[in-house]
Amino acid sequence: MEELVTLTLPHLPLHPLFLSLFTNLENASFLRQQLLDGNQEFEYAFLDARMLLSENHVLAACFRALNDWQRGRLRSRNVHSEIVFSLSPNNNIAESFRRFGISDTTTDLLAIKVSTSSEFTAESVRTHLSQHVQADSVLFSDEAIRRGADLARIRKVYKAGGDGGKVNGAAGTGGGAALDGVEGFILGTMALKGS
Amino acid sequence: MPRALSITTHNASLGEAPLTPEWHSRTVASETAAHKMSFTAVPTASNSYQLNDSNEVQPLHSLPPPFTTTSSPGQTSSTKLIRQGAEALLYYTHFLSPSLPCALKYRPPKSYRHPILDKRLTRARILAEARVLVRCKREGVSVPAVLGAGWEEGWIAIEWVNGSTVRDAIFGRKTWRQENQASYEGGEKDLVGLMHKIGCAVGKLHQVGVIHGDLTTSNLMLRPTVSGAEGGEEPSATSAATPFDGTITLIDFGLAAQSSQEEDRAVDLYVLERAFGSTHPEVEHLFPEVLKAYGESYKGAKVVLRKLEDVRMRGRKKSMIG
Amino acid sequence: MPIAIGLEGSANKLGVGVIHHAAYPHSSHRSRQDSPLSSSPPPPLKASDGDASLTWPPVRILANLRHTYVSPPGSGFLPKDTAAHHRRWVVRLVKQAMKQADVRIEDIDCVCFTKGPGMGAPLGAVAIAARMLSLLWNKPLVGVNHCVGHIEMGRSITGAENPVVLYVSGGNTQIIAYSAQRYRIFGEALDIAVGNCLDRFARVLNISNDPAPGYNIEQMAKKGNILVELPYAVKGMDVSFSGILARIEELAHRLESSAQGQSEPWKDEDTGEVITREDLCFTLQETVFAMLVEITERAMAHVGAKQVLIVGGVGCNMRLQEMMGMMAAERGGSVYATDERFCIDNGIMIAHAGLLAWGMGFKTGLDESGCTQRFRTDEVWINWRD
Repeated sequence: MEELVTLTLPHLPLHPLFLSLFTNLENASFLRQQLLDGNQEFEYAFLDARMLLSENHVLAACFRALNDWQRGRLRSRNVHSEIVFSLSPNNNIAESFRRFGISDTTTDLLAIKVSTSSEFTAESVRTHLSQHVQADSVLFSDEAIRRGADLARIRKVYKAGGDGGKVNGAAGTGGGAALDGVEGFILGTMALKGS
Repeated sequence: MPRALSITTHNASLGEAPLTPEWHSRTVASETAAHKMSFTAVPTASNSYQLNDSNEVQPLHSLPPPFTTTSSPGQTSSTKLIRQGAEALLYYTHFLSPSLPCALKYRPPKSYRHPILDKRLTRARILAEARVLVRCKREGVSVPAVLGAGWEEGWIAIEWVNGSTVRDAIFGRKTWRQENQASYEGGEKDLVGLMHKIGCAVGKLHQVGVIHGDLTTSNLMLRPTVSGAEGGEEPSATSAATPFDGTITLIDFGLAAQSSQEEDRAVDLYVLERAFGSTHPEVEHLFPEVLKAYGESYKGAKVVLRKLEDVRMRGRKKSMIG
Repeated sequence: MPIAIGLEGSANKLGVGVIHHAAYPHSSHRSRQDSPLSSSPPPPLKASDGDASLTWPPVRILANLRHTYVSPPGSGFLPKDTAAHHRRWVVRLVKQAMKQADVRIEDIDCVCFTKGPGMGAPLGAVAIAARMLSLLWNKPLVGVNHCVGHIEMGRSITGAENPVVLYVSGGNTQIIAYSAQRYRIFGEALDIAVGNCLDRFARVLNISNDPAPGYNIEQMAKKGNILVELPYAVKGMDVSFSGILARIEELAHRLESSAQGQSEPWKDEDTGEVITREDLCFTLQETVFAMLVEITERAMAHVGAKQVLIVGGVGCNMRLQEMMGMMAAERGGSVYATDERFCIDNGIMIAHAGLLAWGMGFKTGLDESGCTQRFRTDEVWINWRD
């Protein structure tokens, strides 16, 4: 049974996101090939989940991509590739795919589908993914993402300091997600990309 | 209103000039001596700090996309105007998820400015504020995180900081003291502790090469500390809660700049000193504690304190000629 | 019926004015005991009588004369020559003013003059004349702060009750708000005044100084429409113009050399049109005026004011008034300005402010009557207001 979560970003209510998290991925090469071929049935953002820090990290990339798409300033092919690109701190598209996108050796995968038309529903996406992704399904959540995050690699890519001392900001907000130093810094870096 | 300019001129050679000086002023009954341009009063929000629920005031400008939709099915967040300053509108809303509250700062276009100039300025200011905040975050200065920014449209989404401003905490202390008369015996120790925290926070900011530009007690927040988290304060011996518990977080970097000049740092401190003097005269005598903590917070801080003396003496900058 | 004569000469304008204030109901005028008029009540002001302003006291302008020393295009006015001009004209102007005002020497209560701020030699030249009149006529001297003169005249003429004041001229750029008997400076130019920036730019392009360089820049700007990029220097409540001046002078030189065929014609990147002198005037105005309006808005927000009063020579500029008006309208406020008789330096404002001070018992002894080039607006105790 595939776990699929539907999330709607505040202020972008017309384009909900379908998120599916997987582990023990077996056919990474196949999926990657579909993207390279430009197979229209596979318009997804396929992300290496180990490069994702938290739910906010993912959603910030989605917001940026969706907003840029709405404002007519996509830098990459489509809104899905833009999600991958938005994760990157710099403007090199190819590098962003190498770092954050799916590779032949990816084991933990986050698949995101933006609902760009009524053709795509949670059901249709779930069905399609269950047919083509050979992996174990995990329920997408902040906790699941954090568990699988490769902190050292993430810090390195964002140049977020390796010692854990410098990037610590204020403590939790006491109410929902706590934006600790690294996360806050990464979100800010992503927000400034391309400026 | 006639704008006749009948001026006789006199050239530099100081030769003979016509004897009729300009501006015969008749007893001015026959002319209006002034014109007042009063433009139609356009209903705008006053600079109210709080949003009055029964009397919602709308600013002239609506938010840019994607924030223009106020509500739609499934939308749980609502966007509220918090404050309308000279430069920007501040909204409370949610960003990324309904459980992540955010401060949305929007710089609307100014009609009096040339549109090209206006766009250029708005873009530069949004970016400057975002960059300064991200830089602070990288260096471990306690500031809210930047969640997103649309510099072409003029907005920046900043993490909402829970807690109270230092300003409110100091005002609230009187009530707190009355209520806790029996249990709290620290005298002014709580205030001194607060001053030290402030001095350290500003010191840290300056140390990373940033000037706040508008240090007032309204721009200093006390963020409740989650116990055990890094950056929290050491538990005090008595572990009695005071109104000044929490971590000092600096907010509102709309006038901030990147600078390491002693002069700029001294002026930053001077602004804070004056803010204490005008808003909290009853605790002003403890301000030296802020400077004491500042002076010990980084190498080079003491030089800034000496510079501060110069800044104080100058008062408001230099005099103009003529 | 207090009457004063005022002499102004801090820059290149020499002004002589004679003003009359209606009697104060509750003030004490110790020095008026000598005046034969003090025993009789003031005649009631008729509707057609002079300019009864909305603020107290109602004023009548009995004479307001001015003569300007205009230097040739491409040059500014030097202190020495300006002082000579003032010396040459002052007696004539005083005589004419007295004649026009139709008052006798005995009717004058005090001789007011600009103590500062301003250019040393011209200030001194006028101060000498004032001292002379004071001794000759045996009347007290009242030294007046030039900026306070502008503010008080502006308030009186326009009726603005408690505005934020933007004072902009060749020598000054300040944002002022009244508080506790002082005109407090909220913001100012950190280096040169905006008028100075405009005047020096005019010199580079050899724009005529007649009637005033700022006026000619304004007319030319109306025909410009390309906005070239200039630095924009607002720092909190303060502004800075020297960087802008340096840049626009560079651009002006570039324009001149392309006009003389020494280099390629300078075209705007976006439209491809050739950039003209008018465009530079337009650009400079749009930029510096936007800066001034911005700091005014900040001051208004800070003190919660709804009114703006613009005083000083640059205040005559219609584009500045228009921009200020747009800003004020968006805040539900209003802008007040005066015309050339009062924006540009004049003697009547000195007489007016002097008379207000004198009415509170202020006077300047001869040994205190030296001029000061630097005289901050907030140094004056405004004890005629609460």
